Amino acid sequence: MPQGDYIDEHRKKYGRRFDYEEKERKKEARSVRVVASKAHSLTGIKAKLYNKQRFKEKAIMKKKINMHQQRNKKNKDADASADKDVKKGAVPGYLLDREEVTRSKVLSNTVKQKRKEKAGKWDVPLPKVRAVAEDEMFKVMKSGKRKNKEWKRVVTKATFVGDNFTRKPPKYERFIRPMGLRVKKANVTHPELQTTFCLDILGVKKNPQGQTYTQLGVITKGTVIEVNVSDLGLVTNSGKVVWSKYAQVMNNVENDGCVNARLLV
Amino acid sequence: MVVYNFKKIQTVPTSTEFVDVVLSRTQRKTPTVVHKGYAITRIRAFYMRKVKYTQSTFHEKLTQILDDFPRLEELHPFYADLINVLYDRDHYKLALGQLAKARSLVDGIAKDYLKLLKYGDSLYRCKQLKRAALGRMCTLMKRHTSSLQYLEQVRQHMGRLPSIDPATRTLLVAGFPNVGKSSFMNKVTRADVDVQPYAFTTKSLFVGHMDYKYLRWQVIDTPGILDHSLEERNTIEMQSITALAHLRAAVLFFIDPSEQCGYALHQQIELLRGMAPLFQNKPLIVVLNKTDLQWEEELSDEHRQALAALGPSVDQAVSSGNVESIDVDALLEMSQSKPDDQPAHVVMKMSSLSEQGIAQVRSVACDLLLRQRVDAKLRGKRMSGALNRLHVAQPAARDARRRPPVIPSSVQRKLDDLDKAAMATAAGTSDDEQENGDPDVTMDEDTPIRGEAKNPSLGRKLERDRMWELGGPGVFASDWRREYRDLQRAEWAYDIIPEIVDGHNIADFVDPDIEQKLLDLEREEEARVAAEEEVMEEEDEDGPVLTAEQLERVRAIREKRAVLRQESWMEKTKNRPSVPASRLGKRTRVEEHLEAHLNEMGMHEEDAQDVAEGIADKMPLRKAAKRRRLVEVEETETQMIERKEALDAAARKAGFANANQKAFAKKVAARKQAKIHARTRQHGDGDRHIPNLRPRHLFSGKRGMGKTQRR
Ligand SMILES: Nc1nc2c(ncn2[C@@H]2O[C@H](COP(=O)(O)OP(=O)(O)OP(=O)(O)O)[C@@H](O)[C@H]2O)c(=O)[nH]1
Ligand SMILES: [Mg+2]
Repeated sequence: MPQGDYIDEHRKKYGRRFDYEEKERKKEARSVRVVASKAHSLTGIKAKLYNKQRFKEKAIMKKKINMHQQRNKKNKDADASADKDVKKGAVPGYLLDREEVTRSKVLSNTVKQKRKEKAGKWDVPLPKVRAVAEDEMFKVMKSGKRKNKEWKRVVTKATFVGDNFTRKPPKYERFIRPMGLRVKKANVTHPELQTTFCLDILGVKKNPQGQTYTQLGVITKGTVIEVNVSDLGLVTNSGKVVWSKYAQVMNNVENDGCVNARLLV
Repeated sequence: MVVYNFKKIQTVPTSTEFVDVVLSRTQRKTPTVVHKGYAITRIRAFYMRKVKYTQSTFHEKLTQILDDFPRLEELHPFYADLINVLYDRDHYKLALGQLAKARSLVDGIAKDYLKLLKYGDSLYRCKQLKRAALGRMCTLMKRHTSSLQYLEQVRQHMGRLPSIDPATRTLLVAGFPNVGKSSFMNKVTRADVDVQPYAFTTKSLFVGHMDYKYLRWQVIDTPGILDHSLEERNTIEMQSITALAHLRAAVLFFIDPSEQCGYALHQQIELLRGMAPLFQNKPLIVVLNKTDLQWEEELSDEHRQALAALGPSVDQAVSSGNVESIDVDALLEMSQSKPDDQPAHVVMKMSSLSEQGIAQVRSVACDLLLRQRVDAKLRGKRMSGALNRLHVAQPAARDARRRPPVIPSSVQRKLDDLDKAAMATAAGTSDDEQENGDPDVTMDEDTPIRGEAKNPSLGRKLERDRMWELGGPGVFASDWRREYRDLQRAEWAYDIIPEIVDGHNIADFVDPDIEQKLLDLEREEEARVAAEEEVMEEEDEDGPVLTAEQLERVRAIREKRAVLRQESWMEKTKNRPSVPASRLGKRTRVEEHLEAHLNEMGMHEEDAQDVAEGIADKMPLRKAAKRRRLVEVEETETQMIERKEALDAAARKAGFANANQKAFAKKVAARKQAKIHARTRQHGDGDRHIPNLRPRHLFSGKRGMGKTQRR
């Protein structure tokens, strides 16, 4: 016991209060009421948070109780069945993992497999997206000395602009992609590995909203982008290293401030 | 001087608490109401403020943590090493480094999202961006759960570290486990260290304080050290090593030759040898503990030699029991002038159980350390700097004559007497002084010897002497009444005086000069009585002689005066509503009274009335004027004509034909004026009002809705 631990020291010398245990027991017993009254009296955001937490606790408790009950039941069942006859088709423990596959099941599996392969080429995780109107995509920018010309457009969504992009002279520049909304990296999830990597974007393959947006490099939800996967060390069937892969954007980039995409494999 | 107090570090919250605190603070301290219809700049500013505020709160809280925890590079090496031993330096630095990194990341997130918020074009988008920003900051903090937890534990432990001052005078108690280090510590200081008959009772550093030579000393008890290599040492032992390595202290190395501790003597001596590098430049005293177990007789020759080889023993000093006679210089010389190259130490015997030699060990250690510190200070640069500036002037001798100080012969005689008395008392008490059987260690040896019968320098019994005779401090209560000197009789001093009499505290009524004052009063009264008598006598002698008739009149006058006084008093003090004199009629009360009075006095009725009216006329003007109105005065014809002509003349001067025209004009004017007043809601000519045509509050400040021209 270190020198400064005066609470412990005192406890060691003089012990606890004579009714310490009793008080603790009572406190424990009353805690349910305290919690209930708190849950009852809280209001606003505090109540929301508290109730959420309570909900979680209760769910866990319920699960635990269920588990206990099931175990007890199982034990009872086991006891009951011990003296009954062995069921038909029962297999000894060392043969359990050798599943007998019925012929019909094999057939159905192969059909499913084939269908999946066929469809897989064109399948994307987000097959449908909401159409974005042009006035939502672009903001009109007034130009000219009197600010009376309205032929320029500012892109209001996140865009990808390649490294070698050079601006046209402002006089001919119809579409402006603001610096603050340009993105270079995407958080790409590999669906099989269930891991996420932060990868460089190489380009926009297709924007479902239209060809113009693809050309402008606008990244909206559902856009297929090309990402640099050279660091992941993926290899093709023929043994070549894969440099880039396609991924579909799964979120509204302009609302979240980041690109979350799913690798298309 | 830096004071190491780690108690001030604020609690480190857990990551969930951290997030809760920060978010609820943002919620409380920033505006919460925003609407879609607001200007987009306003909506953007609303959300940007939230993001910025959250970031600054995170920043502030993290900075607080980072600033609170001491930086190992800036600490005294002792504390730096102790923290390394206890909490692992790498772990400590990593945890703080992670928080520093988190801080900069939070700043980065805020910067990014503020940039994005500038392009927010709807409330929904701004809100989503804000949500994402706060969410990312909170996730970031959640990742540092373990760092925060670790830092909180470190904080709690650090707050309870003993506050050791590495710079002050320190005695360091070291040695094998169970050799009696803590027992010694408990004897010399008030630190209450646990003492048990098994090894490793003490598991951390303990600090205690004591006084010696009017100085504060710090004593540090360390956990026991075993005799093995540094790599094998555990955290408990490493604390001792840290203290030994970094504190400039006198080391008391405890050895238990009786081997009651469970470790062999040669092991202990081996440890002492092995640790030699740590003892360099420090006074080292080897303490052979537990002498009460009589190990000296049972010691084998081998062991005896091994002990003798350690260094010069101070047995002599210990046996004589006289602390002051240990000569520090001699000790130093002894310990340094050893022929072989092995380091030599001062060796002392002691027993903390029978309390033998404790005081000696302590004082030798303190003296050695003090000597060393003083030497170091003298050698230091600062000292020479001070000495260079010192100059003691010695006046050159003028001639060969001696000039001793002059002491008057009477004073000299008195001094001689005092000396003699002191000699006599010293001879009487010298016996008590020599047997110094119980060394009271916590008491300072330098304090004056208690229980001396008489103070020799004053030659009379002091209250302090009386105290020692009558049971010492705490028992003795001083008798103040013995000092009551101004009483007429000595036995009055012990009279019982009540504190409260009739509900009064008598102390409030005590007047030391009361007797004197009373005497003065009596004398004054006597004088006054005498003076009065004298006057009476004088009057008796040649007072005015009145006839019986005169006396009668005087009596009547006095009676009348008394009656009047009574009446007026009744008039004055009556408490009821009364009719004012002006309403009573033309005759005032004064008049009535006067008339009645004059009648009574025997004046003729009409005369009395005239006189009364005459007097009343001289009264204040207002009353006189009233009276005049009441008295009808007949105007003669000529007088009337005269008056009219005068009035006409005045009217003509003003441009009218006559007074009538003037009056008419006046009337017409008044009527017209009244019409105007009625129209303008005026009460009269005096009721003039200049309206404020351009009230300031309507024509200054901000303007909303429209323009100056059109609104
Ligand atoms: N006979 C005798 N026993 C002593 C003396 N000093 C200490 N002891 C006993 O030795 C045992 C250990 O004493 P401690 O003071 O705890 O020893 P320590 O060196 O602090 O031990 P650790 O803290 O474990 O390193 C206790 O049982 C004491 O009673 C002594 O002078 N004479
Ligand atoms: Mg101890």
